[in-house]
Amino acid sequence: MVKNVVITGVGLVTPLGRSPREVLGRVGRGEVATSIPSFDVASFACPFCAPVVSFDAEECFCENKNLRLMSRDAQMAVVAAHIAMEDAYVKADETYASEEIALYGSTGVSSLSVEEIARIIEYAAGSDGSLDLKRFGQVGLKRVRPVLSFRILANMPICFVSIFENIRGQNAVYAPWEGQGAQAIAAGIRAIRRGDVPCALVGSCDVKTSELSFINLQQLGVFESWELHGKGCIPGEGAAFLVLEDAEHANKRGKRAYAKITDYAICSTAGDSSLKDTFSSTISKLKTNSIEAVVAAGDGDMTISESEQQAFEEVGLEPCELLRPKLHLGNLFAAAAAVQVGLAAELAGRGESGRPVLADCFGYGSEQASFALEGICAK
Amino acid sequence: MRKVVITGVGVVSPVGSGVEMFWSNLTSGRSGIGPITLFDASAFPIRIAGEVKDFELESITEQFPNSNGCRDRKVFLALAAAQEAVTDAKLSDGDLHRALLHMGVGLEAIRLEDLTPYADSSDFGHSIVSSLIDDQTDRMLQTPLDCASNILGRRYGLLAGRYTNCSACAAGAQVVGEAWQMLREGLAQVALAGATDSMLNPLGLGGFSLLRVLSDENENPQQACRPFDASRKGTVLGEGAAFVVLETLENALARNACIYAELIGYGSSMDAYRVSDPDNTGRGAIQSMNNALWAAGLKADDIDCVNAHGTGTLKNDVVETAAIKESLGRHAYDIPVHAVKSMTGHMIAASGALEAVVAALTIRHEVVPPTINLETADDECDLDYVADGSREFVGETVLSNSFGFGGQNATLILRRYA
Repeated sequence: MVKNVVITGVGLVTPLGRSPREVLGRVGRGEVATSIPSFDVASFACPFCAPVVSFDAEECFCENKNLRLMSRDAQMAVVAAHIAMEDAYVKADETYASEEIALYGSTGVSSLSVEEIARIIEYAAGSDGSLDLKRFGQVGLKRVRPVLSFRILANMPICFVSIFENIRGQNAVYAPWEGQGAQAIAAGIRAIRRGDVPCALVGSCDVKTSELSFINLQQLGVFESWELHGKGCIPGEGAAFLVLEDAEHANKRGKRAYAKITDYAICSTAGDSSLKDTFSSTISKLKTNSIEAVVAAGDGDMTISESEQQAFEEVGLEPCELLRPKLHLGNLFAAAAAVQVGLAAELAGRGESGRPVLADCFGYGSEQASFALEGICAK
Repeated sequence: MRKVVITGVGVVSPVGSGVEMFWSNLTSGRSGIGPITLFDASAFPIRIAGEVKDFELESITEQFPNSNGCRDRKVFLALAAAQEAVTDAKLSDGDLHRALLHMGVGLEAIRLEDLTPYADSSDFGHSIVSSLIDDQTDRMLQTPLDCASNILGRRYGLLAGRYTNCSACAAGAQVVGEAWQMLREGLAQVALAGATDSMLNPLGLGGFSLLRVLSDENENPQQACRPFDASRKGTVLGEGAAFVVLETLENALARNACIYAELIGYGSSMDAYRVSDPDNTGRGAIQSMNNALWAAGLKADDIDCVNAHGTGTLKNDVVETAAIKESLGRHAYDIPVHAVKSMTGHMIAASGALEAVVAALTIRHEVVPPTINLETADDECDLDYVADGSREFVGETVLSNSFGFGGQNATLILRRYA
């Protein structure tokens, strides 16, 4: 018998709050987290970012010596994961054995700051500005902090989550876009459905508010909509984690779930098909006819917003409520999928119609996904 | 649950590119480690590595025109290995369109030479931006992690899902294991699974040398990586890529495919200990092996050979030996345990995929490759490490371990398909 998978905990670190209730409230009031970056944006098509202001991981983990080894995205990941675990009242080796909790995550690209790169480069340059490997080997390497590797390896945020939460179960780390964040959620769902584990912590983190991230995004064409239409996606930062459980286990311990994940679909973008076709194909794979609400993917990028709207029309989707959180939070890229699903879980939990809520995880990169969630009455 | 078999393999490695040459050199005990030639490492504390030799980049760009402009070596290594696996499996276009892609990759490298011209600039950040954006060059500051996956996806029309795994040294084994799980569940009939890495650049080598896990025996490169030896001084970086084609048995039989081996088990775990060191108790490694045994429905006594993670670092080899003994019990003393990193060096993200290929070839050719450079075993390393040259493989099953930096562990189990 296929196991039902429910969401029993949501932890967010976003520019507009740390719980789905808070984020939805602020989005509902029309708040927008956008601000002007601290670096010179004259060369970038996008002039804004959406930072998490005053983020301090020590609020949650005061004086933990691991914090100094961690990049900003990893710090956000451990905080969001901790909030999710507390929200679900799940503690490793108490609620479940640490080996019985799976951990699937995704991360964005490394988030070194310009200052950190400058420190490396300072003693790698010859007098004419060319790369001087002798100088770098003899002098520069001694000035590189040995902890650098812990800050730039893409799997580190998820490894830190495992250490902070004492999770030892099956795992994988994907990268670098929202679609891969959706794949991490799907991997957790499948692990529970297979019966491998009763519980999975799934989620992602990303920091796209730095100057180096802006360079990468501009080079990858993410800001094209800004160039063409004067509006587009606003890079944000944050982390989001979900606690998934086998519904039977959650019921047994009396934990009220936000929602049940009834279905999901992930599609790869084909070389010759449009985004609209891929979005339509993804949504139409879900076994849902009547929709209560959609947590939509539209992030201000004209192509993505229009393609999603056209996809709704093509598959005949007429949601009662359409929410576009990325217009308020910015686009959290790798972390966006777990935010989308977390918000959909809160909406589904509130719904009285019994109809599903969709969470669209559409955007950049080749992988597009959508999740269908239904609310669960309090036990 | 469906049965899953390996029907194609591809390798680009320091001991040979192309499966035939790779296997011949590996079973002959030839080391692929030597002085670094890819860049001038003469002022670096570590000056040796396992480089892929005679790699013809031009032929790859010809076959994958959409790789033009890419400057990341590991992308090209991946394309070459994947192409060999696809060709070897004789997959049709239809099979490929329905195939999954599971791809493991290492770190995105920043090229120092792109940035050094601006080292003296008063506004370093702005100068980089100007360099890379204002002049409209095609140079990417960092190659996206999914670059190789996208190129392969477009070239072969892979539409069933593309997964980019970045679980460090466990990535290569995880991609094979994750693909196996999805085929077993019926989510696809065919999967291309593999991994690639090259940290052989100034920042990559420099970063690893700071972690003090690399052997500094620069004058003696071919003997520098000595897994399980009492005098070992660390691992040696390698580079390369390896891919397997996985298929449901049903699909493979229907198209009369050549079957290397059956993949029957996969397990993973996390140490939850420290990001820099393996857990001294080996708890995560034991759990990974036990999970794979459970998934395969096997007992410890059913394992006939262990392809060890065997890095040659002081900590790994002792912890892994203890973990193998704990997981397999007394039986661990009765079977060969070998470490091909003694010849390839540590290919980081690619190593698990390469070692999955080694396990498949061990079964197919009935030969266990040796652990070279092992003269006097560490007192705490007391298993049969195949130190005396290749030997006949007697049995049916091979267990392959991969343990990652940060505490991620993965284990695969392969069996002869009869």
